[in-house]
Formats: sequence, structure tokens, C-alpha cells
Amino acid sequence: MGDDYPTLFRSEQMSLMQFLIPTEVAHDTVAELGELGNVQFKDLNPAVNPFQRSFVGEIRRTEEMARRVRFFESQIQKEKDVVPIRSLYDSASLVTVGPSAAHNIDELDVTLAAHETRLVQMNDSYKTLSERTRELVEARHVLRETAVFFEKAETQQTDIRTSFDDSSAPLLQHDDREQQYSSTVQFDLEFVAGTIDRTRISTFERVLWRVLRGNLYMNHTDIIEPFIDPATGAETRKNVFIIFAHGDALLAKIRKVAESMGATLYPIDANADKRSDSLREVTARLEDLETVLYNTGVNRRSELVRIGEHLARWQDVVRKEKAIYETMNLFNYDVRRKTLVAEGWVPTRDLTMIHMALRHATEESGTSVVPILQELRTSKTPPTFTRTNKFTEGFQTIMDAYGIATYQEVNPGLFAIITFPFLFAVMFGDIGHGLIIFFAALYMIFQEKKWARQELDEIVGQFFYGRYIILLMGMFSVYTGLMYNDIFSKSLHIWHSGWDFLEAEPNGASYALSNGHIYPFGVDPAWHGADNGLVFTNSYKMKMSVVLGVIHMTFALCLQLPNHIKFKRPLDIYANFIPQMIFLQSIFGYLVVCILYKWSIDWSTRDTEPPSLLNMLIAMILSPGKVDSTAQLYRGQGFIQVVLLLLAAVCVPWMLCMKPYFQWKEMQKIQGQGYVGLGHRSGGPRESADEVLEIEEEGNGRVIVEEMEEEHEQHDFSEVVIHQIIHTIEFCLGCISHTASYLRLWALSLAHAQLSEVLWSMTIEKFLGVSGIFGTIALVMVVVFWFSATVFILCIMEGLSAFLHALRLHWVEANSKHYQGEGYSFTPLSFAKLDEKE
Amino acid sequence: MEGLFFNVDTGFLEGIVRGYKSGTLTQSHYASLAQCETLEDFKTQLSATDYGNFLANEPSPLSTTTIADKATQTLVDQFNFIRSNSVEPLSKFLDYITYGYMIDNVVLLITGTLHERDTHELLERCHPLGIFDTMPALCVATNVEELYQSVLVETPLAPYFRDCLSAADLDDMNIEIIRNTVYKAYLEDFYNYVSTIGSTTADVMHNILAFEADRRTINITINSFDTELTKEQRAKLFPAIGRLFPTGNNALAKADDIDQVRQVCENVSEYRSFFDNSASAQTNGDLGDFGVAAQLEDRFFRMEVHLNKLAFLQQFQYGVFYSYVKLKEQEIRNITWIAECIAQDARDRIHDFIPIF
Repeated sequence: MGDDYPTLFRSEQMSLMQFLIPTEVAHDTVAELGELGNVQFKDLNPAVNPFQRSFVGEIRRTEEMARRVRFFESQIQKEKDVVPIRSLYDSASLVTVGPSAAHNIDELDVTLAAHETRLVQMNDSYKTLSERTRELVEARHVLRETAVFFEKAETQQTDIRTSFDDSSAPLLQHDDREQQYSSTVQFDLEFVAGTIDRTRISTFERVLWRVLRGNLYMNHTDIIEPFIDPATGAETRKNVFIIFAHGDALLAKIRKVAESMGATLYPIDANADKRSDSLREVTARLEDLETVLYNTGVNRRSELVRIGEHLARWQDVVRKEKAIYETMNLFNYDVRRKTLVAEGWVPTRDLTMIHMALRHATEESGTSVVPILQELRTSKTPPTFTRTNKFTEGFQTIMDAYGIATYQEVNPGLFAIITFPFLFAVMFGDIGHGLIIFFAALYMIFQEKKWARQELDEIVGQFFYGRYIILLMGMFSVYTGLMYNDIFSKSLHIWHSGWDFLEAEPNGASYALSNGHIYPFGVDPAWHGADNGLVFTNSYKMKMSVVLGVIHMTFALCLQLPNHIKFKRPLDIYANFIPQMIFLQSIFGYLVVCILYKWSIDWSTRDTEPPSLLNMLIAMILSPGKVDSTAQLYRGQGFIQVVLLLLAAVCVPWMLCMKPYFQWKEMQKIQGQGYVGLGHRSGGPRESADEVLEIEEEGNGRVIVEEMEEEHEQHDFSEVVIHQIIHTIEFCLGCISHTASYLRLWALSLAHAQLSEVLWSMTIEKFLGVSGIFGTIALVMVVVFWFSATVFILCIMEGLSAFLHALRLHWVEANSKHYQGEGYSFTPLSFAKLDEKE
Repeated sequence: MEGLFFNVDTGFLEGIVRGYKSGTLTQSHYASLAQCETLEDFKTQLSATDYGNFLANEPSPLSTTTIADKATQTLVDQFNFIRSNSVEPLSKFLDYITYGYMIDNVVLLITGTLHERDTHELLERCHPLGIFDTMPALCVATNVEELYQSVLVETPLAPYFRDCLSAADLDDMNIEIIRNTVYKAYLEDFYNYVSTIGSTTADVMHNILAFEADRRTINITINSFDTELTKEQRAKLFPAIGRLFPTGNNALAKADDIDQVRQVCENVSEYRSFFDNSASAQTNGDLGDFGVAAQLEDRFFRMEVHLNKLAFLQQFQYGVFYSYVKLKEQEIRNITWIAECIAQDARDRIHDFIPIF
């Protein structure tokens, strides 16, 4: 089987392999296998704590390296001007396998550490420098603002003074004293100046007001430009404040409050000259500092650029190393601790590739000890691995979302490639809409290479992922659109219509007469716009959906057969498949035949009215044998229906009893042969004896971890019975409800056609007759509106709803007929997937 | 009827908090944490739990304080998330939870200032849940009056402080009295508040708060033996709620030694175990009063954890939010304890934490 061409029909055959890897080459082997991405390693020490495993030290080291790399990354990201990060393909490669690997990794560790210390140092000095700059800048602001304030205060004072002077008699002494007073006034009122966070200013003011009981005069202004924290890049906005108060105690209090609120205080002199002096000094120092700061910044940046050169490679190496050691932690040591023992699932087909990889790894590492690979016999269910390509991937995902196929079970994902777009198209049948989504998908496929490398946002990404599904959905919609003869709710006249419309009668109605032509493909365009057009399509689509549904279900039911044959369950064929098939066909298959038969008859030449098939089906079950002669479809109908009904009725006990009965008989037979009571207890020693034998035969070829030894399910008889009862009831009821469920094909396709017709008649149709410039402009605008509504409402919204219904028909109606979906998916160690995860 | 519309405003947050709760460390987590050899192991082990990579970006020599700080930070982040998504009356309820921490912070700051510690250092030691805007200004105050007038008057704690304005100077004793008076007022207020927000919440929270009150009462009693605190003053500090109230409180107010306390506790069946073997320990002479108190504290914590776990059994009530914060706090204490034991190589005491689930 392993030589077969890979197929979607069944999942890959898997083998449980044991690897005996000498410790020296373990790392390289795992690296090689990780590149290959084909082995799913099993945890051989599930009982061991994560930090007690063999390679914790290495993992910790790589984690430390990863932390450094993350630190670099965050530093680079925070840098305002973009630091180029050289892509992985460009950057110099780093050998991490072979004899020089350990050396290289050590070197990398040292390099990373060196870079980190350098960067941290630079950050520190940059931080202190910018801190000092910030202080100076703040000081400058404080100086400036206070200067402004003092100036204002002085002019005000003189104002007051003059007015005072005016009112009272000018006395020389007084003037003198006043002079004295005015010169001391500034010194008398002592003050505190500084800066504080803008958000805190109101709290600060309130607290001060309360602490000083209102004995203060506070003034503050905003500093316009924000301060940027060099480490975090966060902006803070600050205010300059100046507080006047009286007395040392109060000032001390103000200082204390200010400091505890996170304000920075600056000593400001009340004297204007001194202030301007210090302003000059501050400005000078600020200039010096800024040059230093600039130089440090440039140095830091060049360091970052140097790091950026290699960052991508480092990230890659560190990630791979971590994955390798984590995998190696799953391994077990053999007794002599010389070799590592690993177990893992491998697709049988890829064994040669793995052999090659192992040999390659040995060559790389420069030793002659080749890892040994041998197959293990196991009773465990292997993982399900379905090889997909970019075309089948989407369809397979649809089915995997329902449940991963049981190992080697028939995979419905294969058939979904056709059935899914087809059922979708039945609901979405319109040439125009089909073309729109077809071209949209085509566009995405042409952009494939470019988009695949980009980070797409969630919604676009999902559409992009399903581009091939959309492509097929578009193509099929065009086909069903041709079938329904619908293009944007209009119809195509490709061939001669089979009907000629007569001259209109006086009451405005006109009748069509058959002219002998038969429209060769799809619905005759004459139906379009006919009064009974809706009635016709209604009945046509309803019956068609039942026909399609029964065919789809029958097909799904047939997929049981390969499963039963493959897993050697003949009983299931006789006890499940055959009665189920008969049951389905005798009622619903018969209905389909009747539909086709009724279509094939020219009822206008018959003397009876065409019978209602729905009533026929109901009567068939409720009053078997009796057929109303006016509603007879063919002669002998009553008898055939009774036979069919009896067949279906027989199938129910057949399904219900046969399987439990045969299983019961099987049990009886085993018991009859004298194996009574030989349950677990006697099984134990035999098995272990087998194991000993096996060890002798194959050396270490025994599954080391049998922890999940899937117990041979003790088939409890009652369980079998209950299971079968549920199964039977589910199937019988399911046949009815599922057939009814396929009517959604009819409902949705009708709704789609009606909606597009309404959209047409409400917009474009109304403006077609309007002439003149106004009419043209209006028409253009309406066409734009119509087109966007078509895309958004009809293509996207309706498309999504049709997609969901197609999904449901596959998951519920079809999958329930055959699909077990109890497997688990194959998750190999793969470096390529590692990148995706990040 | 409360249950009917509960989920409109609070269903989401209750779901969140119950989700958080299922992330608390279990017995097996603790077992594997206790096996760790170094703090590095500890970090690896914790990263497998709900804490995730909260220590991933810490440079290598880890300290227990970093672990505790980071763990507290996760709790604070979670709390803030809930707080900012909540609406009345839950937001008010959550605020009430923070008041307790605010009181602790206030007392910490006053005590620190009294002993002339560095303000910034004190501010760092404050519990992040109890930080409020004007808090830094507390260090200016020198007496209660000033404290109240300048800072506390605009905080929600103001009404609680109103009762203790009479205390004259700030000294250690007075601060302790202030703390207990304020806490008493807080507990009583909280108790009354939860009565107004629905009977289910009230049921759950009354149990927890009653125990909290009793615990304080017992603690005050035991700690006030052989101090200057008069019995009248002591009685004033007892919260007027709880299961010991009023008879038990009266008896405790008169108690002179630990045996009398034990007799009082005998009257409440749940509290009977607190002093169970402490008597025998005393006769052995192993444990002095201090030992009993330490043991008692441990039992109190156990009881608290038990009560808080019970809160999760009821739905449509706010108690889960309170309980979650308390349980998480206990968990952080546990983590810190284990980390401390590992760091100081005191393996024999590593199991002295209080398991939650």
C-alpha cells in the first residue's frame, strides 16, 4: 500500500518508527528531521516534570538567547527612524549543525550577550543624558515662564502703585518707604517653582490649598512640547508652576508635597538679572548636552543597525534551537545513556526520505555512527495525515473543521472539491454573480505569490485562503446560471425559444404558444417574465433539490462501503449498509424516480390531471395500497408502493437486530470454546511473554511507552444494543429530515433569484426610460449603486449564506451517512510550521 | 428577580472572573512548584500555568520580590480590566474592595513618615490596588486632624476617619488605633452596602465580612494583652458585625488571656477549631503566645480561603469578584512563600502554604 501514489481518498499510511540516535548526532538529526517536517515525535517521558528533563539547561540557554533577541527587536521597533532588518534570505547564514555547531552557538551566545550589554549601557547613558537634558529643558521653561510671570507681576504692581499714588498725597518719605517696599516685595514673598505632570496639576493644587489653608498664590502654564521618555517612548506633558507663600514652614510643606507628588523643583532667583544669567547658563549647558546626546544616539543607532543586519538570522536560529531541544526532551535515554531513543509517527511513504535525512545528518556531523531506524508494531491508532496542495487545502480544511478523519477512513474532502462548489452553485445560480466571484478568485490567485508573503488582515486572509474554493464556486455558479438562464436576473436568448407570444388580448394579457422548438440547454427564456414563471421555477427547483439531495445522500451512503471493506467489517455491510440503502431507496429513491417519470410525461395529452407527488408520498405511508384513481401516476402504483413500504419496514428491524445478534453469537461462540472468564488477568502474562519474545527477536524493537495502551474495548453487549438502537432511529428519522433539509437548495436559489430581480427592478429599470442629460447622469449613478449592491448584498452576503448552507449539507446531511471523524491530525516537528506559528 | 437581569450588566464580567478563577493554581501545580530546585525552575514551572510568560522578560537572577511584584501586577491588571468594564452597582462594589487596600496604604504611609522613611520608597511599597491621587501628600501631615483636612477629606475614606479625629498625636499606638477604628468603620459600611445590592450578594458577602470582622476582633483582643490599651478602648475597636457580635464581643472586651478568647470562640462552631490544639501545644511549652498567634493566623487564612471558595458556588452575585481578589492574593502569598523557601533553601517549611483548590 505504501507504494501507491499519494491520494486524497484515504489518509497516508503511517508507521511508528523508533530512532536510536547516538547522543553526539542527536542534535543534528533532529535539526535535519525538523527541516524535513515529517516526523511527529511522541513524548516518551510523560511522567517527568518539564524542568527535570534532560535538556532543560540547553532550553534555558536558548530562552535566555531568545530573551536577548526579543530585547533587540523591541529596541529596534521603538526606534523612531526605521532601522532596516535584513530579511532572512539575505543575511549571512549560521551553521548550527555539524562539528562546529556547538562552537557557533557558544559564539552566538557571547555575541548576543555582548550586544546586549553594549546596548543596555548605551541605553543607560542615553537615558541619563536625556534625563539631564530634560531637566535642563524643564529648567529653561521654568526660567522663561517665571520671567514672564514676574514681568507681568511687576507691571501690575506699578499699576497699583500709581493708582495708589494718585489717590494719596505724594509724600517724600512715603515714596521712599514705598520704594523700599517695592524693591523688597519680591523677596518678601518667597516662592517655589518647578514642573509637574499635567494630569496631576489639579490634585496638586487642591492638596496644597488644603494643606496651606489657602495661604498661597499659585500660577501655572502648560509646556507646549511633550517630553519623551527615551526608554519607553511614552509622552508626558508637563506644566510649569510657581507658588508664592509666606514663611519657611509653609515653603517646606510645599516642597514636601511637590516632591511626593512627583514634581521637580528648580531653584529660581527672584532677581531678574540672576535669572537671565542662569537662563544663559542653562542654555549653554543644554547645547553641550544635546551634542553629546546626539552622538550617543548616533552610536546607539549604528549599534542597532548592526544588530538589524543579523536579527532575522538570530531569531531563526534561536527558534530552531529551542524547538530542537524541546523535541529532544521527548526522547529517552537507553540503559547505557549513550544513545537517545525516540519514537514517532512517520508517513510510510517518506521512510526513504527520512533514511536519507538521517544519513545526511551523520555526514554533516562528521561521525560515522548512523542513527538506527526501525519500525515498531503497535496497536495504537496512527495520526491522520492527508497530503494537500494549495488547491485541495481549502476543501480539506472544510472537512477537517467538522472532524479529523479516522485513520485511513474515506476522506470526504476529496469529493467536496466537486460537490461543495456544486451545491453552492445550485443556491447561487447566476451567470453574472458567478463571474464576479470567479474573477475575484482569479485575481487573488494571480496575486498569490505576493499575498502569501504578506500579513493579511483576518477577513481578507480568510477569503484568500479559500481562493480556490471561490474559484470553483464561481465556475459552477456560471454553469447553474446558464441552467437557470439567469444573468443579473435577466435571461439570455442563445437559441430559439420554444414559445411564441401571441398578440396581446384587449385585457393586456398575452399567451404563449408552443412552436415546436425545444430549448436545448437550461430554462427557456420565455419563462422569464411570464406570469406563471415563478410557479414554474418554484416547482422545478423544488423537485430538483430533492433529486440532488437523494443522489448526494446515496453517494455519501455508498462511501461506507470502501470503509467496511478496508477495515474488514463484512457484518457492517450486511447489517448496516444494505438495509440503509434499501430503506433510503424504497422511499426517497422511489420519490426521485416518480419525479423524473412525471417530468417525462406530456400531461396535456393525458386525460388525468398531474398528481401531486407530495400527497402521493404521504398517502403511500398513511394509507398503503390505496391510490386515488384521479391521482394515479401509473398502473399498478398501489401494489408497488406497498412492496416498497414493506421493504422499508423490514429494514428497520434488520438494522436494529442483526448486528447485535451476530455479535452476541460471536460472544457465545468464544465462550463456548472455553475461554470463559479469561479476561484481563490471564491476558497479562501471555502478553508479557510475547513482549519478551519480541525483545529477543528485535532487540529493542518494543514500544517503550505503552501508557495509552488502548484497551481492547470490552464490548459490553448492552452498549452495542443501545448504540445500534440510537443509530437506527437516527438513520430512519434522518432520512426524512435530511431529504427535507435539501429543500434549502430550492429556497435559497429562489431567494437569490428574487432578490436580484428586485434589486434590478427597483434601481436600473426605473431609470432606463428617462432620457436627456439628467437621465444619463441618473442612470450612471444608479448603475454604480446597483453594482455595489450586487457585489455586497448579492455576491458577498448571499454568497456567504449559500456557503454556510452548502457547508451544512456536507457536514450534517452527507457526513452523517458515512463519516466517523474520530482521528487526530498529524502534527510533525517542522521548522517551516514553526515560523507560521510565530 | 435579580437573577433575571443580572447577566445584562454583569454576565460578561462574571464569566471573565470565573474564567480567571479556573486559572488559579491547583494542588498538582503546587506540588510541582514545591519540587523546584532553583528559582529558574520555578519560573519554568510557572510559565506552564495561567501566569504564562509573566517573567519571560526578566533578566536572569530572579528575586522573590520580582516574582511577587509581577504576580501582583497580573492581579492588578485583571482587576483593572474588570473595574473598567463594570457599571453601577458593580463598579461601586469593586471600589469598596479597593478601600481596604487604601486604608492599608494610608496607615503604611503615616507609619513610614513617622519613622522618617523615604517617601518614594514607601510609595513603592504601597499596594497598587489602593493607590489614589492625593496619597503622596499624606506624608506631610503630622496629626490626624491635618491628615483628614488636607488629604483624606476628598477620598472615599473620609467618612471612616471622621470617628478617630479625636486621637491627638501620631504615634505607633495611635496609628494602630486609627487603623482599627477606620477598618471597623469600613467593614461596617461595606456590610451595610452589600445589604443594599441584592439578597444573594448580601448572603455571600455577609458571611465573608462577618468572618473578617471576627478575625479582627480576635486579633485586636490577643494583641492588646499587656499593652496600654484599656478595655474600654479595646471594645470601641471591635466591629459591630460578625458572628461574635454582640455577646462574644462583650466577652472579648473583658478577656485577659488567650484561654478566655478560646472560650468565646467555642460558642461558634466554625471557629471552634481555631484553638483546637493550641491548648495542648501550650501545655507542652513548645509554643508561646506568639506561636499560638502565628498558628491562629494560618487558620484564619485557611478559613478565609474556605469562605471565599464558597462564594463561587452561588451565581448572580458580586461576591465572586471579592472572593477572586482575595483568593488570588492568597495564591500570590503562596507563590512568594514557596519562592522564598526555595531561595533560602528552607525546604522543610515549603509546604506551609495554604492550598486553594
